[in-house]
Amino acid sequence: MNATLFYSIQSEWMKTKRSAAFWLVLLGGFFTPGILCLIYMVYIEKVAPAYSEPKFWIKWYLNGWESMAYLLLPMGIVLATSLIAQLEYKNNAWKQVLTTPQSLSTVFIAKYTVVLLMMFQLFVLFTIGMYFAGALPAWYYGHVPYPKGPFPWRTILQMSTSFYITSLPILALQYFLSIYFKNFMVSLGVGILMVTAAITALSWRYVYLVPYSYGGIHFMQLQGRMRFKSNILDIHYLALIYFFGFTLLSYVLYLTKKEKG
Amino acid sequence: MYCIETTHLSHQFAPGKNILDDINLQVPTGSIYGFLGPNGAGKTTTLRLILGLLKKQKGEIHIFGQSLAQNRVAILRKLGSLIETPSLYGHLTAAENLLLLQKIYQCPKARIPEVLELVGLPDTANKKVSQFSLGMKQRLSIAVALLNQPDLLILDEPTNGLDPNGIIEMRELLKRLNQEQQITILISSHLLGEIEKLVSHVGIIHKGQLLFEGTLQDLIQKQQESSCLKLSTNDNARALQILQSIYPAAQQQNGKLALPPLANAQIAEVNRQLLQNDLEVYHLAIEQNDLESIFMELVKN
Repeated sequence: MNATLFYSIQSEWMKTKRSAAFWLVLLGGFFTPGILCLIYMVYIEKVAPAYSEPKFWIKWYLNGWESMAYLLLPMGIVLATSLIAQLEYKNNAWKQVLTTPQSLSTVFIAKYTVVLLMMFQLFVLFTIGMYFAGALPAWYYGHVPYPKGPFPWRTILQMSTSFYITSLPILALQYFLSIYFKNFMVSLGVGILMVTAAITALSWRYVYLVPYSYGGIHFMQLQGRMRFKSNILDIHYLALIYFFGFTLLSYVLYLTKKEKG
Repeated sequence: MYCIETTHLSHQFAPGKNILDDINLQVPTGSIYGFLGPNGAGKTTTLRLILGLLKKQKGEIHIFGQSLAQNRVAILRKLGSLIETPSLYGHLTAAENLLLLQKIYQCPKARIPEVLELVGLPDTANKKVSQFSLGMKQRLSIAVALLNQPDLLILDEPTNGLDPNGIIEMRELLKRLNQEQQITILISSHLLGEIEKLVSHVGIIHKGQLLFEGTLQDLIQKQQESSCLKLSTNDNARALQILQSIYPAAQQQNGKLALPPLANAQIAEVNRQLLQNDLEVYHLAIEQNDLESIFMELVKN
């Protein structure tokens, strides 16, 4: 990575400080763990036996992904990506960014990297949140045992990576919409429409063609509930193909845009 | 040596409708160049093309003697700009807004308090920009433009939102930057009166065409050439007949008679002629068009 790109990423990262996207990622990461923790704390007698199960952490983590995979994560990506790119439109700042001594590619990549990093941040916060949300009832109530065995970091990391990959097509398309269209409603509208379509399409034979559905498909696969199987490629490869395709399209259209800023 | 030079620059947003038509702008190095024109004349489009914010369609742009198309990043490193409204992040403080650009320019961090002091915002570093007034935002935008110690400043209507005192301060600041740091300044405005005390060179654009370009002295010369002798009598129609026999260019204008500028002896002769013909002279004076009128005349024609 050249120095200019590094400084540009630093600069883009600083812009997210205290921004709506920053708060969304922070709250979004802890939202599901917070709700689950609250439920477990309230209904501790009912859920206490689960703590004795040998695969408590895996089940607990998947429990968290149930709401995240279908709706919360895709919607979070739609909103956060739109908000990050909209920082420039909202503040009339594209013309400032594009008159700094950076190539157009540097600006594109730096902003994109920040969006990817913010999604990474969301995953990290979610995982940390899930750990503490799972452990808290055991720490708080003396009669509830702390889950046996070490925390399965490796498995959790693998699952998180898988979910991260399945989210990339959403991120790529939303990034394109957000930087290309000045109107915030375009990216938001398309995002909401696509997420809704993806949920509806989960019972469709060709759901594998819908890039916004991969998180849900992956979750259903982990639960063994997915009825259809992709006869083309594994969804992770499909997700990566969509991701690179959308990224390339977005990059070309951004570079060739007649009016910038 | 020109700091900015455009050659045959034309631009259109819709086919057949030229927003800019063959603009040949020459901004001398070290000058303060006032780029004047009414709203919608093409000033901002020209400046956006010069900054690379619009894709060039026709013509050439050279800045610091280098082609913008081929040396965009190197040119932008030595340039500061403010186009139309301020470009600031409301959720960040003034210092944070400058810091994120300091990262890009890699200039010393000490420049941040320096430029804030320079634009008269020394105590606002930790204040959120969303709490700034429009005038304060405008000043902070100038601070942003000055952060990298540019050789060239491009300012599009920078006094928008400033109170009269702020306008005077801004004018003094720009003069000081030009004189002490030899920064070339291209400043656009739709009011000649606002920048005539500041600029050394003037370019007047209207309906996408550059109507005048030269030094402020050239414009003043034009003003003197356009001055005239104005008079009124108790019978202007008869007075016009008498005067046209001596000065065929004499004409009636807005209820008065106008003659080309004359020497003192000739003015006395005009007066004598009118009196000898039993006319009563009520008014006889040399009237000079102010620069604003010249500007308006150029634009109207």
